[in-house]
Amino acid sequence: MSNSSARPTPLVGHPTALLEVQELSCRFGGLLALDRVSFSVQPGEIFGVIGPNGAGKTTLFNLISGVTPASGGAVCWRGEAITTLPPDRRNRLGVARTFQNLRLFEGLTVLENLLVALQRQPRSTALAGLLNSPRHRRAETQRLEKAWQLLEELELDRLAERQAGTLAYGDRRRLEIARALATGPALLLLDEPAAGLNPAEKEGLAALIRGLRSRHQLTLLVIEHHVPLLMRVCDRMAVLDFGVRIALGTPEQVRRDPNVIEAYLGGGA
Amino acid sequence: MERHAAERHAPVSRWGCTNVIDNGLLVQMLIGALLGVSVYLPLAAGQLSLATPAFYAVGGTLAALLSTRWAALGAGADGSFPLPSFLLELLLAGALAGLLALLVGRLVLRLQGIYLAIATIALVEIVRVAILNLPFTGGAIGIFAIPQPFATASGYLVPALALLALAGWGCQRLEGMPLGRAMAAIRDDELAARCMGIDTTATRLSAFVLSAVLAGSTGALAAHFLNTWNARQGSFDASITTLAFVILGGSRSWLGPVVGGLLLTALPELLRPVGDVRLVLFGLVILLGPVFFPRGLITPGLLERIGGRRQEAPR
Repeated sequence: MSNSSARPTPLVGHPTALLEVQELSCRFGGLLALDRVSFSVQPGEIFGVIGPNGAGKTTLFNLISGVTPASGGAVCWRGEAITTLPPDRRNRLGVARTFQNLRLFEGLTVLENLLVALQRQPRSTALAGLLNSPRHRRAETQRLEKAWQLLEELELDRLAERQAGTLAYGDRRRLEIARALATGPALLLLDEPAAGLNPAEKEGLAALIRGLRSRHQLTLLVIEHHVPLLMRVCDRMAVLDFGVRIALGTPEQVRRDPNVIEAYLGGGA
Repeated sequence: MERHAAERHAPVSRWGCTNVIDNGLLVQMLIGALLGVSVYLPLAAGQLSLATPAFYAVGGTLAALLSTRWAALGAGADGSFPLPSFLLELLLAGALAGLLALLVGRLVLRLQGIYLAIATIALVEIVRVAILNLPFTGGAIGIFAIPQPFATASGYLVPALALLALAGWGCQRLEGMPLGRAMAAIRDDELAARCMGIDTTATRLSAFVLSAVLAGSTGALAAHFLNTWNARQGSFDASITTLAFVILGGSRSWLGPVVGGLLLTALPELLRPVGDVRLVLFGLVILLGPVFFPRGLITPGLLERIGGRRQEAPR
């Protein structure tokens, strides 16, 4: 099951899988960044994606979130193809993501960053907003309550009025997670959540990821360079190398996979 | 710039006084502020659009045509014009400009940054040439003797102030509602905004249409105030002047373009006593403004110091 030649044949979207990636490819000019990658993520799973630099991990996230168009293959959400949908539609279906190189709304405050993401929960019309109708005020109150809940959960409440661009690195990473959660996702894509964190923050991350899953009934897809962290927290993982999925399975299976050992330690191992 | 100053000056001399800020100049300043807000709205959603003069020209031309050709509006033989008809024209001009923006915006808003700016300049030119050459818009001379709903220039202060108050109130409300927040998010990072579920195309289009509605209504008001209207009202010059309102005033709050519009419209008239040097001085202000106030005169920090801290959240 962990061999690239044993890749599953394309199905028409498995009904029980939350997310299914089928034979997904992405080509940038002459570079094949992703080569027919397939796997599926079950509801409630914490699924890891590891691989050396340039293996195509972030490209995979960009294809799943709709930021980059796929050159081939399909992305299925609850059994239906969403390959051609733009990022905002995919988010409204329940796919939220963070960015490896942090893309906060830096000119807005921490609280406003969350309010932007909360704009559909609940929805209110522009006219109601202009006239400041009771319905709009109720919606605003609900948005603020949710925002403060998330700020407290991610220990950002003290920083609510600070401009996002002025935060320390670790706080920005948590704000990115809070902002993604604010869109009310079923699947959260975390792109290198441990990058740039200090050792203490890294230690807390595993607990945070598990906590998020249980508190928000989330499924998580995590890209991480810090492999030991991922081994501890993931239920299953996929390994990418040069755009090809070379392994898939539980952390224990992946650890012993000869392809993975070769990719990480070189041909002599 | 010269051409404009001269044109705008014409109705002021009609009422006699030119030395200090008289009511005629005040109305012009308010029109400048309104156009500044119109440029600010797309900019608040990260879109550099210079199309404001095109919508201003469309609104003004519509008002000029309706009031001089359509007898049902009730223009008097003595040049008077009923107030309800004037208000109807403001609405119609805003609606027509908004509709045009809706159609054009779907095309041009695919462009970003400087390319959008160039496409909107092209729109201004297309509208100008169209108004110049259409059989019913009076060619180069334009439309004359537009009837007056108010007997004096000071009468126009009320609708101009009311329109500005409405625009300011709208901008202020926007900040506390999803559309305004989506605009601010797009301005900071459009890709991140899309990944947070924001329909960025619809948001940008909304800002563009709001900007056009405001410019169209302002044009209708200006057409009556100026008494004559021609194609030169919406020119590339005006694109740059209105952009200067926002750059000098600051683009982080709607008060910035209001202050910029008021100041930069008044300046050429106030400098009139020094003769032709005034245009050089005017140019210097536009040039040096961004050097000394790179974020504009009105910054969020300044507003905070004036108004005390804005509290959004009940804790």
